[in-house]
Amino acid sequence: MIALAKGRFLAPSLGLLARAGIRFDEEVADSRRLVFDSADGECQVILVKPMDVPTYVEYGAADAGIAGRDVLLESGADVLQPLDLGFGRCQIAVAARNGESTPDGQRPIVRVATKYPRIALDHFNSKGIPCELIPLSGSIELAPLVGLADRIVDLVETGQTLRDNGMKIVEVITESSARLLVNRASYQTKRRELVRLVDTLGAVR
Amino acid sequence: MNSLTQTPPGTQILLGQAARRRRAVERAIFDVFEGWSYEEIIPPMVDYLDVFVKGMGQELEGRIYRFIDREGHVLALRPEFTSLVAKTAATRLAGAPPPLRLSYSGEVLRFETPKGGQQREFAQSGIEHFGGTPASSDVEVLLVCMEGLSKLGVADFQINLGSVDFFGGLIDGLDVGPEHVGALRDFLDLKDQNGLDGLLAKLDIDSRSRKALGEVPHLTGGREVIVRARSLVTSGRSLEALDHLDDIYSIFENLGLARHLTVDLGELRGFDYYSGILFRTYVPGLGFEVASGGRYDGLPAKFGRDLTAVGFSYSLDRLEQVLGPRITGDAGPGDGPAEENSFEEAVRLRRAGKRVRLCS
Repeated sequence: MIALAKGRFLAPSLGLLARAGIRFDEEVADSRRLVFDSADGECQVILVKPMDVPTYVEYGAADAGIAGRDVLLESGADVLQPLDLGFGRCQIAVAARNGESTPDGQRPIVRVATKYPRIALDHFNSKGIPCELIPLSGSIELAPLVGLADRIVDLVETGQTLRDNGMKIVEVITESSARLLVNRASYQTKRRELVRLVDTLGAVR
Repeated sequence: MNSLTQTPPGTQILLGQAARRRRAVERAIFDVFEGWSYEEIIPPMVDYLDVFVKGMGQELEGRIYRFIDREGHVLALRPEFTSLVAKTAATRLAGAPPPLRLSYSGEVLRFETPKGGQQREFAQSGIEHFGGTPASSDVEVLLVCMEGLSKLGVADFQINLGSVDFFGGLIDGLDVGPEHVGALRDFLDLKDQNGLDGLLAKLDIDSRSRKALGEVPHLTGGREVIVRARSLVTSGRSLEALDHLDDIYSIFENLGLARHLTVDLGELRGFDYYSGILFRTYVPGLGFEVASGGRYDGLPAKFGRDLTAVGFSYSLDRLEQVLGPRITGDAGPGDGPAEENSFEEAVRLRRAGKRVRLCS
């Protein structure tokens, strides 16, 4: 059982599986169903929200999954991550308004708006900078413009959204891309199947 | 919050079938422990915080429930048994000649996210073997672990066996800072080949070591893994670790039990604490390990007695989710209790060993 993320990762994930010989008779992307059997019956795919992929894999509800490294880091899930699948490349970065020049260290506290509270907190903690997290679920770039936050922590793909909103990257926290996640127990109890999956996907990615 | 109705986060109440099952599982496990001559010790629920910090290291410290007693000492609710058992072996049992075989069972508390049916308060049963040689006692604890699972009706399980000495030998001679050793270990633990390759490319190490370290995530499987690993390393410590794993594997082959063993040289979780083999046991259908253990020769010395040590523990809360049909936790045998009106009749039946239930 493989957990795939609905949304922008779904098409490249299905493409990758197809190249690895895991194909589906029906149209997975356009369906409202959530569980699909592969054409050869060897494999089952479930569609879940991107943030939930690590959870399904960590608990072993899915043996493997495909999710962005950003989502994985944010979830804190304890799973194996044997492959970088190459697509969905982006950065997780701290950004601020253009012309904003007060260094973080000189503020009593930095207000940070983000969809990634865990990543943001770890980042500022590691630098010893006190921060107040402002969890948002979208349109993060708005927060500094309306005075809600001093900084944002968000995914940056091309940087266009930042530029359009008069913002710039202050610091890149880490790189992200799609990863293959594997449950620790499944890797041992279904080793043959999963090693084959890792090897095949590694060869066609 | 309503403190009179809800239980604190991470705690649970076992009742009915679940409670019966817990006791039945403990009994079955203790039959096995006793069958291998392990003596139970019942340590206190509370000990000084230092005991656990010294024992399990800083990593666990943030997850310990602690409080201050009237004299101002910092105490802790036990987060694990191994430190307590090692302390006992080094102090109360200081005069007892090795080997010492000790077993325990009970609840421990850790402040962590409940996962896989294991709450913040959870039950462990386990053994510690002190003063034996790795050649013998490593095999013994693995055998005890396997037999316990069989006795519980868990026929299908996989023990993932590694050795910190294999990895230790690989990095011993290298000019690599501790932060990079930590990062290498994390990448190996996650089988993160990309992260590993990226780091190895940055490190100033010889090409042989780079190749060997880069291959560790693939060194998982049967005996062929040991053969392959031998061709990759020159370190005496790594080679000795491989010889030891090979010996263990041979013994289990002869016993017809090797199918339950997976050699995994990237199995390194708990690296700072363990000193030889380490293992985790998985059962199909559950995403988390049901047992884990390893060798930790340095621990008893921290309490004043230099003894070798190896042991493991089961997580009862997890085991109970994968039990075979043998232990159901159903109520007692057969016909159920006799319904009785009179005390005379009830006492008579009780003396005859029958179960009774008074009518009111």
